[in-house]
Amino acid sequence: MTELPNYAEVARRYGLEPIPESVLRLAQLVSRQEADLDEIAALIKKDPALSRRILRLANPHTVDEGHYEIKTVEQALMRHGVGCALLLAMGAPLSEALVKTFLTMLSLKLECLEVRSVIPSQGDHLFGIIRFSGKATGQVQLRLGFDSAKQVAAKVLGLESANLEAAKDAVGELLNIMAGNFKSNLCDAGLECCRLEPPRVYSSAEFNTVVEEEGNLERMVFRAPSILMFVDARVNPWS
Amino acid sequence: MPTKILSIDDSRTIRLIVAKAFQPYDVTMYEGADGEKGLAVAAEEKPDLIILDVTMPVMDGVTMLGKLKEDPTLKEIPVIMLTAESGRENVLQIARMGVRDYLVKPFKENQLIEKVSRIVPLQKKPAAN
Repeated sequence: MTELPNYAEVARRYGLEPIPESVLRLAQLVSRQEADLDEIAALIKKDPALSRRILRLANPHTVDEGHYEIKTVEQALMRHGVGCALLLAMGAPLSEALVKTFLTMLSLKLECLEVRSVIPSQGDHLFGIIRFSGKATGQVQLRLGFDSAKQVAAKVLGLESANLEAAKDAVGELLNIMAGNFKSNLCDAGLECCRLEPPRVYSSAEFNTVVEEEGNLERMVFRAPSILMFVDARVNPWS
Repeated sequence: MPTKILSIDDSRTIRLIVAKAFQPYDVTMYEGADGEKGLAVAAEEKPDLIILDVTMPVMDGVTMLGKLKEDPTLKEIPVIMLTAESGRENVLQIARMGVRDYLVKPFKENQLIEKVSRIVPLQKKPAAN
């Protein structure tokens, strides 16, 4: 094997982007099982968007913020555990990875929507799932209608149109990119992950989130012209 | 003589994107959908460069890279990793195995062309009359 000095040198040599500092700090803090709740809450409260998201996650059945039962970041952490904060910390890079993928490979600008403002689509659609396992386990799920998936495939391949098989493969690769990024960030935060499974994509009529294991889950919704996508991310940091 | 490039990725989408990127160049493309097939094609065709994914069924990219570096007839073939995995430990492990470059997905065609052209010659195909 070739000896290389350190990661910084390797990253510079290959032109790799580092994990955002704010995300890294929160993730590192949360990934310690004995992490101090007040310390985590203080870090989350510095970021209004993160605070809003954790309160939304802690009050899943309440639309109006004024009627939230859980009103503070501390209460949310007490109720849902610090794994919830880890998922939030990782949700931002996951969302960025998808947006960057669409911009880079499809030349499409994705818009992240308020989850509660979108009614989940009905009927058959493509469902993709990819799992990772190790010190942290979890999964990323992606749902989009057949027409949306075919458009994604056609765009990414530079074709006029694409069939369902091409759409399945393109959706699988989208998942692979998102989950790879998610897993890399978890690993860099100190939650060593040993394995990323190849994605599975199939037709489904079920739009509810599939949760097969314990852990915290966040749904995100994205839109581009004629494309609507639902992304569910789940992570359990101390499996 | 055309430059021979072997693209190994379980995603047909990525293999198509990679092949499309090299269409304007005098390149012969070879493909494999997993590490095992990739090793077989590498042994048969002796490509000038390999573009290799990490997460694949049957045999992953890291295992394939290890086997490639153990084979005296294949170990000098330069490898560029093209993967969604950019975690520090993964990157360090792979870098220490002797890859020439590392490109994280998502990527633009011109980033791939630029990295490849630093390693092997890429000649534009003559324009058709």
